[in-house]
Amino acid sequence: MNRSTLLRGLGLAVLLAVAVATPFLLDPRGYAIRVVCLALLFAAMAQCWNIVAGLANQVSLGHAAFFGIGAYTSTLLLIHFGLSPWLGMLVGAVLGGIAAFLISLPTMRLKGHYFALATLAFGEVMRVIANSWSGLTGGPVGISVPFAPPSFAMMQFKETRPYYWLMLAALVVVTLVFVAIRRSKLGYRLRAIKENADAAEVIGVDTTRTKITAAVISGMLTACLGTLYAQFQFFFDPDTVFGVASISVRMAMIAIVGGIGTAAGPILGAFFVIPLEEFANDLFSSRAAGLSQLVFGVLLIGVILIEPRGFMALGSRIRRLFGKGGRP
Amino acid sequence: MKPSDRAPRSLNRRQVLVAGAAGAIAAPYLIRDAVAQGKAVNVGVIMPLSGANAQFGINSRNGVELVADEINAAGGIKALGGARINLVVADSTSNPTTAANVAQRLLTQNDVVAIIGAFASSLTIAISEVTERRGVPLFTMSFSDQITSRGFENIFQVVAKASVLGKAQFDGTVAIAATAGQKLEKVAIMYEDTAYGTSQAGGLRAGAKAAGVEVVMDDAYPLGITDVTPLINKLRSSGAQAVFPVSYLNDSLQIIRSMRQQKVTIPAIGGAAGYVIPDFEKGLGEYAEGVLSISPANYDLDPALTDRFRKRYGYFMVHEALEHAVCMDVLAQAMEKAKSTAPEALRKVLHGTRFEGGWTKAMTGGAVQFDKTGLNTLSVPVMVQWRNKELVTVWPSEYAKGKAVWTN
Repeated sequence: MNRSTLLRGLGLAVLLAVAVATPFLLDPRGYAIRVVCLALLFAAMAQCWNIVAGLANQVSLGHAAFFGIGAYTSTLLLIHFGLSPWLGMLVGAVLGGIAAFLISLPTMRLKGHYFALATLAFGEVMRVIANSWSGLTGGPVGISVPFAPPSFAMMQFKETRPYYWLMLAALVVVTLVFVAIRRSKLGYRLRAIKENADAAEVIGVDTTRTKITAAVISGMLTACLGTLYAQFQFFFDPDTVFGVASISVRMAMIAIVGGIGTAAGPILGAFFVIPLEEFANDLFSSRAAGLSQLVFGVLLIGVILIEPRGFMALGSRIRRLFGKGGRP
Repeated sequence: MKPSDRAPRSLNRRQVLVAGAAGAIAAPYLIRDAVAQGKAVNVGVIMPLSGANAQFGINSRNGVELVADEINAAGGIKALGGARINLVVADSTSNPTTAANVAQRLLTQNDVVAIIGAFASSLTIAISEVTERRGVPLFTMSFSDQITSRGFENIFQVVAKASVLGKAQFDGTVAIAATAGQKLEKVAIMYEDTAYGTSQAGGLRAGAKAAGVEVVMDDAYPLGITDVTPLINKLRSSGAQAVFPVSYLNDSLQIIRSMRQQKVTIPAIGGAAGYVIPDFEKGLGEYAEGVLSISPANYDLDPALTDRFRKRYGYFMVHEALEHAVCMDVLAQAMEKAKSTAPEALRKVLHGTRFEGGWTKAMTGGAVQFDKTGLNTLSVPVMVQWRNKELVTVWPSEYAKGKAVWTN
């Protein structure tokens, strides 16, 4: 037991060291590193979603709301007050947490599809507000992060490497938060709610408070990632950061493809979905219009059909298979 | 027992990994080698080939393809030893994140010397954030004012900006109405709540204010609106003498159809996009007749050139195809003049040259010249009108090929 935890810890340390060193093997202003950056970012986003959906089975389709709040908050503060995105990120996190708290109050009692639909509507409402309140957000035209000389303080870099480490750090932090929550009392309460909310209530779990706490943590972290996205992409519009397909559903999809409720699931999912989409685009988009999206969709459907519970479940299935085969 | 069991398997996996990695590392060099041998110049073409804007993206790609094939057939880029133009086409989808990724890919994997794209302003802006940092020229016909207002050095906008387009849409209408003996006093604006819709509506509003015309209806509606009846009812009761709808294809079809079905016969002056493509006439039939629209360019300004497009693709050369063709031609001319594909050399030529001849003749102004922000200063929008399944340029008078029909 002790030895296996030690081995596991060692393995993780090696993996992390490899992850930190990877950018030195890639062209610092190249395409591969950009795709890896996005995969890291989306892995972190899916991990945020996993806190609520994976542990408490509260499937949200409105996480783009927090993501967009983060992106807009830091960028607007930067444009109007020259505030460093690092501080803007903290303000965004507070606002994202408040938004998560407010949306949690009325949706708390909803379950399953009803919760998903309510959160979906919340994300859309945020998109419509960002679209119409052009005095504040610049409206549908979108906003650009102002060009600044590259510096850590302004979270702007000429090369992609620093972004890579930023995204990697974000993923590590979010994953640690996820693991810590899962191991904590909060995690046990969340799982109790997942199994049976009424039973959890009966045995003394304050379900309302538990759900709100998890939602606020998830919302705050998602907002921080919105800031990272804005600083990486330099331009966004309401449809991009508040998008249902581009953000909300993608976060859920990545976690589901990888394995919902597990720490490694979102990471596996992101490193499958994001490169796959790029790969399909690279190979097929010059052949016929729309073919790349079709191929991407078909492959995704295939993966879900083979293992609806995601790669993590597939992994244990294969291990079982080999385990059986290996025994005399 | 166990380690020996595992050994062959892990070795296999390692071999596969090594082979894969070697292939991945070698691929760019192999591609580069092929390029050097065939003496080709790679040009990136990023368009929305799937999703809501796919039709416009395909039209645009066709325009670029036509010119590239013509240049290749005529012996390639002569100053570069007859180098062929090799188009690297990629789908931006309708997601700016993907558009930027694709741009990065074309720059690093395909060594493109320039990028042409990407129709929708939000996609173009996302791409420009990548090309600007790499110092590679980006040619576009996206209208948005933002494109050339950010102080970027490597972006080249071949058409007039959205605000100019919106103002021209208004001024042209006033002029056409005046010629027909009507003084415009009340107008209506309805626009989709996208980047394109809102910025063009802004130009219309500014035009109305400058001309002292009252805007009796000023409504935004969501892209992909399902029922336009309330909009049309409001339009009818507003007492407007003319309406400016700004929308992509599907919404434009709905708006004009319900207007005409409800016998709202006031002139409709569309804002390019959905109003100036063959599908508009196909979708509306006789209702399309007489609909006016602003357009950054029109194929009847130089039929000799644009008929080549019609012959190859079977429909008239829509303005986005024409403008992207011009982008391709200007790039080719710049390479001829610079005798190089180096970004700095190209940029210098692009900023300091008046491009004449070739496809630039089909633009208003008959040539292309970029100012230091990258905006083509010679391009002015034209007003076109649907007449017997074709678009006829009717304003301004120096470009008009026919007289506008105005029903008041």
